Amino acid sequence: MTSPSSDSMQMIEIHNLKKFFGENEVLKNIHFNVQKSEVVAIIGPSGSGKSTLLRCVNHLEEPTSGEIYVEGVLLNDKSLGKRSFQRHLNRIRTKVGMVFQQFNLFPHMTALENVMEAPLNVLKEAKADAEKRARELLDKVGIGEKADSYPGTLSGGQKQRVAIARALAMNPDVMLFDEATSALDPELVGEVLKVMENLAREGMTMLVVTHEMGFAERVADRVVFMADGYIVEEGKPAEMFRNPRNERTQKFLADVAHEDL
Amino acid sequence: MLDWEIIVHYFPFLVEGTYLTLKISVIALIFGFLFGLLAALLKLSPNLILRTVGAFYVWIIRSTPLLVQLFLIYFGLPQLGIDLGPFMSGVLALAINTGAYNAETIRGGIISVPSGQMEAARSLGMGVPLAMRRIILPQAIRMAIPALGNNFVILIKDTSLVSTITLVELTLTAQRLIGSTYKPFEMYLMAAFLYAILTTTTSVLLGKLETRIAVERR
Repeated sequence: MTSPSSDSMQMIEIHNLKKFFGENEVLKNIHFNVQKSEVVAIIGPSGSGKSTLLRCVNHLEEPTSGEIYVEGVLLNDKSLGKRSFQRHLNRIRTKVGMVFQQFNLFPHMTALENVMEAPLNVLKEAKADAEKRARELLDKVGIGEKADSYPGTLSGGQKQRVAIARALAMNPDVMLFDEATSALDPELVGEVLKVMENLAREGMTMLVVTHEMGFAERVADRVVFMADGYIVEEGKPAEMFRNPRNERTQKFLADVAHEDL
Repeated sequence: MLDWEIIVHYFPFLVEGTYLTLKISVIALIFGFLFGLLAALLKLSPNLILRTVGAFYVWIIRSTPLLVQLFLIYFGLPQLGIDLGPFMSGVLALAINTGAYNAETIRGGIISVPSGQMEAARSLGMGVPLAMRRIILPQAIRMAIPALGNNFVILIKDTSLVSTITLVELTLTAQRLIGSTYKPFEMYLMAAFLYAILTTTTSVLLGKLETRIAVERR
């Protein structure tokens, strides 16, 4: 099934998305699009549903209802049988990179092996090609010299950069960042944000759940403010941060600004 | 006290019996590991039938004595036309038995791998079987090694039970030599010593494996 939208530039389209955890409705009728090469920052208080929304985009969370299209293809296609749905998911996921708050590197593999794992075993690339590309990516995120280190020996910032390289190794069309810097010591946040910023400049489509307002303001093309499972307000970063229209947005931004003092 | 002449003279015979003990142990260990892995995966399956099959296997084996399981296979099955002979029967009973204990050990290892590992693997486009094989199981087995080692040591000692179905392994070798020497203390002492060698070697090897993995992950 393909997207109802005629605009072929949509990377992600979300219609009427609802998500319940038991009785608890965490996403309430979300409508949301992401254009190709757009960088969208999702901000909001904890429990607002922003991580859940992100995780729905590669089906780590199953939507209760609604449709999600990735590059025009319906992600949660209910018409597929169990097995073909899994293959369908795997195929889409190779195009959607994900970076987690807790890194989730594979601890039994070196940094290089982490990056090569999916290209070798999912894309069936030749080992020499996969290794060459993995080394390039590790250089790109600035830790080429740590290629043979195990994750346990790396700092949080280094781990997260390996995780970004691992996601990039699949040549994704869109990257999802789920609070990628929230688990880092403050002095390590910068190195990860820099990698993300470079990626944005190269034209990567990015959906970024973040608490880093400075990053959102500087790098994002659009900022989305979520609260209580709704998208409360969205707009250009300059407008959002200087003149938030909604009361909740104003309060949230004031609280965050207060934290930074 | 000890008759050292007897010990020196008969020790090589007991070492010979140890070979069969070792052979049975190694084969039962390999199959016991595979049965355990399979049962652990069954018990974690989303499919209720598979889960029930896994749970039933573990339950029935752990709630009955190994000696009865052994007799069922060696004496019982021929009545149904399935005659496996002593060696196959012995190895099979031991493998099935240790497999049930390994299943719980491996299952514990699998569920102790953080859920983020499966999520990361799936987000890279890996299907569940591939993610299990490449990401989850290698970590689960590493975590399970100390407890698996314990099961291996128990398995080696349990092989003495197959002496009851005419397999001339270490224990039955000792028993037979007692028949001709009337020296049960010396014979059983030597048998005990040889079992201790086998189990201690196993423990030391596993300990080394554990350290090596710990270093690798440091």
